[in-house]
Amino acid sequence: MGKKELKVAFLLALRSLQRGSRSSVILTILIIGMCFTNMIFLPGLFNGIGQSITKQVVDYEIGNVLVSPKSGDQYVSDLGATLSLINGMPGVERATPHFTKGATLKYRQRILGASVRAISPNDEKSISPLYTKMIAGSYLGQDDTGEVIIGKPVAGDASIRQEDEFQSSLGGVRVGDSITIDYGNGYVKDYRVKGIYFTGWSQADSAVYVTSTDMALVDPKAVDNADYITVKAKPGYSETFIKNELIQYGVSQKVQTTSDLLAKSMGRALQSFAIINMVSLIVSIIITTVVLFIVITIKTINSRRQIGILKAIGVDKEVIMHNYGFQVIILGVLGIILGIIVTLGLAAYMAIHPVVTPEWSATLYITPMDLLVNSVILFCAAVVAGYVPAYQVSREDIQTAMRA
Amino acid sequence: MIAITDLQKIYRMGDVEVRALDGVTLDIAKGEFLGIMGASGSGKTTLLHMLGLLDIPTSGGIEIDGTDVSLLNDHEKTMFRLYKLGYVFQDYALVPDLTVMENVSLPAMLRKDLTEKQYHDASIDILTKIGMLDRQDHLPRELSGGQQQRVSIARAIVNKPDILFADEPCANLDTENSRMVLDLFKEINEEMQQTIVMVSHEDWHKEYFHRIIRLQDGKVISDGTTGTKAH
Ligand SMILES: Nc1ncnc2c1ncn2[C@@H]1O[C@H](COP(=O)(O)OP(=O)(O)OP(=O)(O)O)[C@@H](O)[C@H]1O
Ligand SMILES: [Mg+2]
Repeated sequence: MGKKELKVAFLLALRSLQRGSRSSVILTILIIGMCFTNMIFLPGLFNGIGQSITKQVVDYEIGNVLVSPKSGDQYVSDLGATLSLINGMPGVERATPHFTKGATLKYRQRILGASVRAISPNDEKSISPLYTKMIAGSYLGQDDTGEVIIGKPVAGDASIRQEDEFQSSLGGVRVGDSITIDYGNGYVKDYRVKGIYFTGWSQADSAVYVTSTDMALVDPKAVDNADYITVKAKPGYSETFIKNELIQYGVSQKVQTTSDLLAKSMGRALQSFAIINMVSLIVSIIITTVVLFIVITIKTINSRRQIGILKAIGVDKEVIMHNYGFQVIILGVLGIILGIIVTLGLAAYMAIHPVVTPEWSATLYITPMDLLVNSVILFCAAVVAGYVPAYQVSREDIQTAMRA
Repeated sequence: MIAITDLQKIYRMGDVEVRALDGVTLDIAKGEFLGIMGASGSGKTTLLHMLGLLDIPTSGGIEIDGTDVSLLNDHEKTMFRLYKLGYVFQDYALVPDLTVMENVSLPAMLRKDLTEKQYHDASIDILTKIGMLDRQDHLPRELSGGQQQRVSIARAIVNKPDILFADEPCANLDTENSRMVLDLFKEINEEMQQTIVMVSHEDWHKEYFHRIIRLQDGKVISDGTTGTKAH
């Protein structure tokens, strides 16, 4: 095939699309576009959910790397030494301990169970964007005692009657109010609500935060012990790098990356996502292939006489085959472009209106690589679907074709 | 130039056997303007199809320019048609999706020995000659039968083929346009020693032919030169 042949094949393809049935061209492009969207939408949504869960777990729970007690121990002990060791390592943005106690909150007539998380506010700022999520009052100061910040669902809304609440709350706590925290074992303490926050991550929103300094007064173990240490990586450092580094430097606790933990806890869910993604991919490919096969087959059947004429005046069968090939390529490319536009439109819409559940919120997460890979897959399917009938019809002998 | 020996074409449809060509033997010289006449159904189109490599004979041989065409494969036949032959179909056979201009230049576009300018100029030239230049952007379905026939003629001769086969090229033309076409054929025949094989019904066309053969039931029943001289 030389340049001239390809040029003629392209001209024939273009003319056939221009002067053939307009509606069939538009419908074909539409179907390919929708198949593309279908191929990429669900995986993109699942990725978005995964990304959003990961981000919230990193932001509000455990950072990038979690250092937890080695088996048999209840706490990460020798806290001061371990923290300064970790904080001195390259690639570590900040490490900070969490100490959590279950407790009962009391406000007026309301009682609510919640976990009280003791943090070191200054360090926590380097790890978690919680301090940016205050909707009333302010964040904890480093050495605040007798002060607490609480999640919006914990604070509740005074205008909603208790029996109408979706999630139990303290029924409308406001900044400055006093709440009582009963830690059990007879340890009860009153706190002033310094701030109310809302993150969208239900685990964090249904907890309350006090400072480590305050917790040390409640439970002396909190001075040199932690339930776990969260470690935030500097940009450009991978979780695995930090994890290996920690182990190498002799951190004797259990060290896990967030990805490891999520893979363990969400393994089943990820597997189901993978199956759903695969099904939507295969269905899209099959629909595209079948539609294009039918469209091109009908085209070739309807233009058998034309094919005969072309051969009779000296147009080679390769040119005739590529004519249909080009038609499929043009339809496929236009369909894929439509699909990309629709997908990006959906992604833009969902960035503004994410899918929100009480547990997490998610947008469509699609990378340029996803677009590229799916385009290539769909394009290949289209080419195969078009060339098979094109190959068959281009081989027909002139007399049979011309009399058709 | 063309040597035909004992050519047979038998169409079988169920039990019925049609001998469309029944032992045609014929030599056509280079530069000859040959007329083929005969009643409807006598086998004229069938003979032209065989010579134009559009169909395969049941038996017998065709040699064109020293090439036994039965030995050519599909691709070689296509290239033979593209470079050596021009064909005017009885039913015009224009490509419906292409404009007049595109129909005429299509075969020329594929030729490796022609530049874009060359075939463009040649197409304009031939469309002017047949009086269809002002319709160059029209589609075949927007043309009358006679106009389509003229476009089909333009397409067949734009490449200046060594041999031109024309199957009743004037069937849908008035006398004036028929003369124009025949004069055009005569011109290229004289200028370029082009061989022309033309099927015709009209008696007055004889004055253009060097030689006329008559077919009847697939056989040659007469073969004779006319007063017109070959060059
Ligand atoms: N594809 C075919 N299948 C069966 N019979 C055919 C076929 N093509 C031609 N014939 C038969 O062969 C014979 C010769 O046909 P042909 O088309 O060569 O005639 P013709 O001389 O060109 O006639 P006309 O002047 O009407 O064009 C006819 O009897 C015709 O019915
Ligand atoms: Mg005929």
